[in-house]
Amino acid sequence: MSASCPPQSPAVPKTEIAIEGESPLLAATFAYWDNILGPRVRHIWSPKTEQLLLSDGEITFLANHTLNGEILRSAEYGAIDVKFFVLAEKGVIIVSLIFDGELKADKNTCALSIILPQTELSFYLPLHRVCVDRLKHIIRKGRIWMHKEEVDKACLEGSGHSIISLLTTEIIPVMELLSSMKSHSVPAEIDLRDTLLNDDDIGDSCHEDFLHKAISSHLQTCGCSMVVGSNPDKVNKIVRTLCLFLTPTERKCSRLCRAESSFRYDSGLFVQGLLKDSTGSFVLPFRQVLYAPYPTTHIDVDVNTVKQMAPCHEHIYNQRRYMMSELTALWKATSDEEMAPDTIVHADETFTPNLNVFQDVSHKDTLVKSFLDQVFQLKPGLPLRSIFLAQFLLVLHRKALTLINTSKMKRKSLRNLKTDLDLTTEGDLNITMALAEKLKAGLHCFVFGKSFYTSVQERDVLLSF
Amino acid sequence: MITSPDLVAFTKEDDFGDSYTELDSLPDEFSVPLFSHDENKNPWSKTSFAKFTKDFILISEFSEQVGPQPLLTIPEDPRTCGSFDLNYFSLRIMSVDYQASFVGHPPGCGYPKLNFVEDSKVVLGDSKEGAFAYVHHLTLYDLEARGFVRPFCMAYISADEHKIMGQFLELSSEFSKASECLKTGNRKAFANELEKKLKDLEYTRTVLHKETELQKKANGCYSTQAIEKANELANVEKSIYEHKDLLKQITSYPNRKIKDPEFLPYEPDNLFNSAGLDQDQMPNSFNTDDPPEDSSYVRRPSYTPQFIKAKSAKCFDKRLKTLEELCDVYFFNQTMEQLAQIEKMFRGDLIYISTNQIFGALLKKQKITNFLFEDYEDHRDEVERDEYCQKQNPCSAAEPALSEPVSIEDYTSCVETVPIKLDQEITDEELQEAEHTESSPCDVTRDNSEEAIDVDIKGSISSGDSIEVLGTEKSFLTQGNLIKSESQPTLLSPNSETLRKKAVSKRTNSEDSIEVLSTTESHLPEDLRATYPSAIHEEETYLDDSEDQMYKQALTELGREAGPEVQDIELFNPQETTEVDSACCMGQEGLVFEEAMPELAQECSDNGVINVAPQSCRQGDQALHVDFSLDDTSYAPTEGSPGVLISYDLNSSLLPEELSRLNTDDISDSNSFMSASTSSDRTSSPFLEGNPITERHKKKAGQSALRFIRQYPFAQQAIYSLLSGRTLIVLGADEGMVRKLVNALSIFLPNLGKYGEIIKPWLTSPFQITDLQNWKLIGLHRVASPMGSSLLYSLNRYSRYISILDADHKTLRCPPYRGTFVSKLADHRTQIKRGSTYFMHIQGMLTQLSSTVFLYTFCHYLHLPISCDEEESLVVQRRMEFLHVLGFTNEDIRIIEFLAELLKQHYLQGPGRGAAPPIFRFDYTSSFLYKI
Repeated sequence: MSASCPPQSPAVPKTEIAIEGESPLLAATFAYWDNILGPRVRHIWSPKTEQLLLSDGEITFLANHTLNGEILRSAEYGAIDVKFFVLAEKGVIIVSLIFDGELKADKNTCALSIILPQTELSFYLPLHRVCVDRLKHIIRKGRIWMHKEEVDKACLEGSGHSIISLLTTEIIPVMELLSSMKSHSVPAEIDLRDTLLNDDDIGDSCHEDFLHKAISSHLQTCGCSMVVGSNPDKVNKIVRTLCLFLTPTERKCSRLCRAESSFRYDSGLFVQGLLKDSTGSFVLPFRQVLYAPYPTTHIDVDVNTVKQMAPCHEHIYNQRRYMMSELTALWKATSDEEMAPDTIVHADETFTPNLNVFQDVSHKDTLVKSFLDQVFQLKPGLPLRSIFLAQFLLVLHRKALTLINTSKMKRKSLRNLKTDLDLTTEGDLNITMALAEKLKAGLHCFVFGKSFYTSVQERDVLLSF
Repeated sequence: MITSPDLVAFTKEDDFGDSYTELDSLPDEFSVPLFSHDENKNPWSKTSFAKFTKDFILISEFSEQVGPQPLLTIPEDPRTCGSFDLNYFSLRIMSVDYQASFVGHPPGCGYPKLNFVEDSKVVLGDSKEGAFAYVHHLTLYDLEARGFVRPFCMAYISADEHKIMGQFLELSSEFSKASECLKTGNRKAFANELEKKLKDLEYTRTVLHKETELQKKANGCYSTQAIEKANELANVEKSIYEHKDLLKQITSYPNRKIKDPEFLPYEPDNLFNSAGLDQDQMPNSFNTDDPPEDSSYVRRPSYTPQFIKAKSAKCFDKRLKTLEELCDVYFFNQTMEQLAQIEKMFRGDLIYISTNQIFGALLKKQKITNFLFEDYEDHRDEVERDEYCQKQNPCSAAEPALSEPVSIEDYTSCVETVPIKLDQEITDEELQEAEHTESSPCDVTRDNSEEAIDVDIKGSISSGDSIEVLGTEKSFLTQGNLIKSESQPTLLSPNSETLRKKAVSKRTNSEDSIEVLSTTESHLPEDLRATYPSAIHEEETYLDDSEDQMYKQALTELGREAGPEVQDIELFNPQETTEVDSACCMGQEGLVFEEAMPELAQECSDNGVINVAPQSCRQGDQALHVDFSLDDTSYAPTEGSPGVLISYDLNSSLLPEELSRLNTDDISDSNSFMSASTSSDRTSSPFLEGNPITERHKKKAGQSALRFIRQYPFAQQAIYSLLSGRTLIVLGADEGMVRKLVNALSIFLPNLGKYGEIIKPWLTSPFQITDLQNWKLIGLHRVASPMGSSLLYSLNRYSRYISILDADHKTLRCPPYRGTFVSKLADHRTQIKRGSTYFMHIQGMLTQLSSTVFLYTFCHYLHLPISCDEEESLVVQRRMEFLHVLGFTNEDIRIIEFLAELLKQHYLQGPGRGAAPPIFRFDYTSSFLYKI
């Protein structure tokens, strides 16, 4: 990987994590800028493997590198900046999140980094946003934690719950996520024969209406869905079918279901297959679902139900509120018990989100309906259906782009916009809006002219036109 | 189902607003913004912090004298960077050596060792400044620099953080190319510098040697001066060794790197064609077999060695070499060009860059329909790139064969392009060779291909085992000649000729080749068949009877499928016996056509006057020969049917009157039609003959199209004509106005071709009926002269087959349109204001149309009888019902049928084969005169 580097003294504390399967992550580090000694590595997490991929000295050398240029950092206090390195000379890629934290009674620049081999660049890039979003949130909590510790005059090592243990609660899931993606990610190119679109007829594998609802809702929630079921093959077939409607990069950020035992739900993946346990249920972490960048469609292949979360802008609003309540709860916490990572959410009772986060798909569309009606009329086994699918996706993207361009010029013409673009059916508008929102974040609020509407309010607005 | 313990805590129903105040207790520095997007914030607005107006590229250096410093920006305009502090940013991006590795004297090594470090790539941001950057670090060599290295970086700076990460791979790839170019030039310059230095050192050694000898003679061997000289000499000797070693290292670099599978050596384009390239700017090749000592000395002017001190002074007052000097002028300029390209490539909003990439990937998957409405260049390039990639990487090419074939063409033809020399005498051996060159992956899909042929295109001409020439250099040229000669060669500028030639020369992968559809037992030259028998005169000799019969069958098959109302006129070769349907003759006033004779056409157009007097319709046109393939059984005229000949209501008696009126108008009002919708500015017309039509052209045309549909209430009828394959003539006195209208309408035209071959934006001479096959949109010059009258006479004569948009009088004569599709496509009430947005809207609608056409064409049960005894009429009825279910009625069906026919032809002939449909078809439909 690289030439050996002299180890630092004293030795850096290290946590070795046992990961099931292959871990593409070489190490994770937490480093800070010591005002006397310069960049210092505080902690190293590395997967437990027989073969030593990177020595501690090398890891320390790399981690220090991420902070070297930050002596000039002029970011606003509280900002979390992301740096990304591809160091061909060392054969590694490093993702570093730089932030200000309070350590040893001083304000320091800190860096939480993950290190991967350079060969994993194309594997990692589609997952960059997922990893960064998750690490950013744990850093937000970590900053409050560090601040409180300083206020309490508790030294870093002496505290019952150090910053390291807090960070560990997210580092391990990120490592597991990357490991699971290594073995079960959906390939960029999907063979149509592995999907429901290869059936002779629309109702062959699943009920016609179920498939229509699933795809329609999947598109309305920006291509973000979870597929739950007891039969892994059935789940994976739906996963692949839904992934047909994503871009190759988004597919690489989707995960198939594991046959032996289910993966845990991972926030931020586009489509993921999840296996029910022996009791026929799957425990879904509310917080994780809410922290996903897009709303999610919940598809149960056992009972053929499709439910969806609120539209994107409403979802983001709920997400931010929940994040705020979580951070506020941590800020207010007075005891170690309250600050324990697992109990943080429960401590807050001021914010009560709607429990019915998943609701029935109420918006009917014509786009997906006619697509499905038509695609099954083409002979299966030939590439005809692939071509027809590509045409459908091209139409969707072009509609979304036209919608974006139209909105750019004239924000208050929603009715005209619907007529001009032939989006008078509510479901069609939702699908196009979701795609447009994915392409241009913030478009929904801009078009509706209000930063936040609940979906009910939004419907009223639409009807009033 | 959702049984998370997380949910247990939340049982209280509450409005979102109530708990809002509780969240205020969290200090801002620890909170997250609740509203990610402000109510009034435009999602396109840049971050308020950014102090620069648009993205730019910055080149910085870590100078050993002054530290990090910006060198130049691309674009150079200082307004681009605004008040952005380049010095500070350079300091930030260059403050860390990301390529830290050893240079100089490694332990145990007597000589300095060059370390060829890999480039590092860093993405970083300055959230306070609102600047985010992709930074590409590279190291250049300089003999006078400390450790011989000069660290540089090239940074792409943007205010959009997502853009940088979203396009990381693309940025990385492009900057790596630029870096490789820079480094190649640097290695050359470094080697040259070493050579010069070596010459100096050798010269110095000679001088010192002489001086030492003199000293020895004068003062003896052990005198102080003699010892000093001897030491100096020894230092020079050592220095020579060191420099020779360095030279060896630098010259052996490419050879070492080539062994690295990921190394892509820089290959300059048109290296020796570059104008103004001095002899000494020519890049040397660095190869151990061809050492620079030989090559460079020959090329460069002789160098006069200088005496140097053995110990070179490393002082800080020396002038460091500029980047240009470090990298050789040629390579420096090449890199600057590349960087300028990169800046252009990534300019603008991320959504347009990313959607273009998505569109590209999707268009690649639907190559079969792209010819209808998509940008020709895009999908053509894709095809060529694919072919190239497959040649480059046979492993990757073989992969799809194992899974589902990527495109439908794989099934039908398993096409493999075999470049050949295009002589008329194509020998059997050559063809056999061509066959043998076919790679085995074709065999993998052959079963599928045969199945597809059997099922999809029953009776198709490409069935069975045969070799087909789909298009050749000759056929292309012949067609080109026909087009030129039949119209008005004088109008074609020399430029367009040059461009055409250039275009032809670039088509080595397509037209200049034989495409082998599948293997065959026997493939005689007689098997070779031209793509456009009506247009390619010379190649008709290849058609033997059996081939001809097959071709006819295929066409008849296609004609039959086109529906009862459609009547086809097919142009066959002249040897064929003319079949004239008497019923048709009555209706058509006995038109008898034969294939266009180039000589005759030449004669007609050379002097701009028709020399051969047009025959009356009843007498038959001697110049043309027609074969009506009207199916009597399917041709059942009904009331209101557009195909009914009786309903043809073009009042011919009015035509001479109108003709004279038009002429009078031309004289009296030639300048009175400067309407708001058009202008007569000739230079503003973006459509130029001979130039490839790009999406940019089309976007520009979108504005004209928008204006057209707003100002002409009969715009839908005009567009319907175009979409249904009926030639539309835009008639006008003012060239600018006509060209603008042609340009506006061109975006609705299917099968436009790369160069818009089916458009004649400005025609000043009379046209022939065969021109109507080649051109689907014609701008016709209305002139008040004898030529003008003959021109209008031809217009009058063929007016039953064409639609005429009179730009001067704002009238349109064409069949009526009562469908719904075009109404949505060209709604004059549309609130879309911008031409580019309207073009996007049109693109979306036309993609939808292509999709329907594809479905209609490839739905097997629509075209084949379900049972053996099912009548054709039932199949036709099924097709009609199918289109009705899809929401297509009346004239919309004609559009679908026409486009489906085009698609069939394209499918049979293979992708990228010319522009005009081989079937010459007219719809005998009532025309109406529309006025504003």
